[in-house]
Amino acid sequence: MATMKFLCDTKRCIECNGCVTACKNENDSALEWGIQRRRVVTINDGMPGEASISVACMHCTDAPCQAVCPANCFYKTEDGLTLHNKDTCIGCGYCLYACPFGAPQFPKKGAFGSRGKMDKCTFCAGGPEENHSDAERQKYGSNRIAEGKLPMCAELCATKSLLAGDAEVISNIFRERVAYRGSKNAIWG
Amino acid sequence: MNKWFKQFSVILALVIGTTFSALSFAHDGATDHSHGATEGQIWAQLQAGATGETTSHGEFHNQPINSYDLRVLELRSDWLAPALMAALFGMIIIFVLFIKVNGISKLHGGFSGKLVYRWSKFDVSIHWLGAIPCLLLILTGLTLLAGRFFFQPYISEGIWAGFVYGAKQVHDFMAIPFMIGWALMTTLWAKNQLPKMYDLKWMLVVGGYINFGPFKGKHPDAGFANAGEKLWFWAFAAFGLVISASGMLLLFPNLFEPSRTLSLIALVLHSVSAIIITAFSIVHIFMATVMSEGGMECMVSGYCDETWASQHHNLWFDEIKENGTLKYKE
Repeated sequence: MATMKFLCDTKRCIECNGCVTACKNENDSALEWGIQRRRVVTINDGMPGEASISVACMHCTDAPCQAVCPANCFYKTEDGLTLHNKDTCIGCGYCLYACPFGAPQFPKKGAFGSRGKMDKCTFCAGGPEENHSDAERQKYGSNRIAEGKLPMCAELCATKSLLAGDAEVISNIFRERVAYRGSKNAIWG
Repeated sequence: MNKWFKQFSVILALVIGTTFSALSFAHDGATDHSHGATEGQIWAQLQAGATGETTSHGEFHNQPINSYDLRVLELRSDWLAPALMAALFGMIIIFVLFIKVNGISKLHGGFSGKLVYRWSKFDVSIHWLGAIPCLLLILTGLTLLAGRFFFQPYISEGIWAGFVYGAKQVHDFMAIPFMIGWALMTTLWAKNQLPKMYDLKWMLVVGGYINFGPFKGKHPDAGFANAGEKLWFWAFAAFGLVISASGMLLLFPNLFEPSRTLSLIALVLHSVSAIIITAFSIVHIFMATVMSEGGMECMVSGYCDETWASQHHNLWFDEIKENGTLKYKE
């Protein structure tokens, strides 16, 4: 089976936030106010070496969130995606501490760890509920993978900076780009 | 003339053009060196935890990558979770076997029937204020740390989800009475728990609780608290502080706003303290209820049997007899 990954080409990302908007729109049914699954971060903003990168859940093969979760609500799909079950989630916030990418987000930020159910990028692959059911739409948003489509963020990326798909395929695309760019100062990009 | 001028112009244009393009190439080269960061340089900055600008208001969203030692995850799943199971169930098994082999510590000559004042009603109530939440925290904490490895495989997803959610709720709210109990017990009881020289001798004969070999029939000296109780008291005071402080960070992230790495460290310290407190608690409960005949009475009525007082806390009993603070139950 495929191993689905995201890859963001920092040489192409123009910080347009199109991916953020695409994600919000596509998964609107599941997103509580203030929750943003994907964001664009610009380092060295306005200075030499400025670079923008679109970040969301990276669907780690050996996911720290899955390792740390007391409720064990995470699972891997056959496409190598890291998804979670909101019915089992207890809202403790440990996944947010463990995730290197800050992907898990919570609707509330109260005392006694009353954070509500965790929400994160699903690679537009829904959740454990039946595909395209109301329950799935309400809790996880869209399920484009079940329709044979890729995540909306990458599909709508204007510069094709954000790539989504099988790790081997997208890394080949990226490698080809790098070779084509041919900058003598580049290490691998 | 005209032709010559035309040729000259072309040559001039070529020369100037080449010079300019050469200059601009040189300039591009310089840009690549000083301004354009390579993918490798960008990656190095991100990996080092660079923060940047983002329109998102999500928590920690201005930092693309937060690096920490990933061994903390294995430490939790492979070491701390089994250790907490062992601290609870392992200690129970060991103690049951020990009592089977060794027998309990009986009162010589049986109960005297005369009850000596030992703890005030307030002391008894702060003990239970800490103790009941402590037991619930141990059981729910075990569910939160080790439940997914030891209980979840045997129950359905729905039951597990309800169980672990209940554990979290009980754990969160029991933390408050536990901390109040811990603070009161630690501060109010500390002066009776200071180590003395005779505590060393108590330790060397394991308190006289062992009924075989060279230890048999020993009754080492003990004051208001014996050396074993003192050890438990100070372990509880120290690790109670660690478990309360780390617990506060996890319970009130909105108040203390700890970093993610600090939260993970708190999680590990919380588990380590829990393992130590759990192991001590099991010993404490066994000693009070089963091992030491007449011991439980202290934390029920606050009084102890006179025989128990002279057998287990001889120096304290002699002292209160002497200074006249000895008080019997009416």
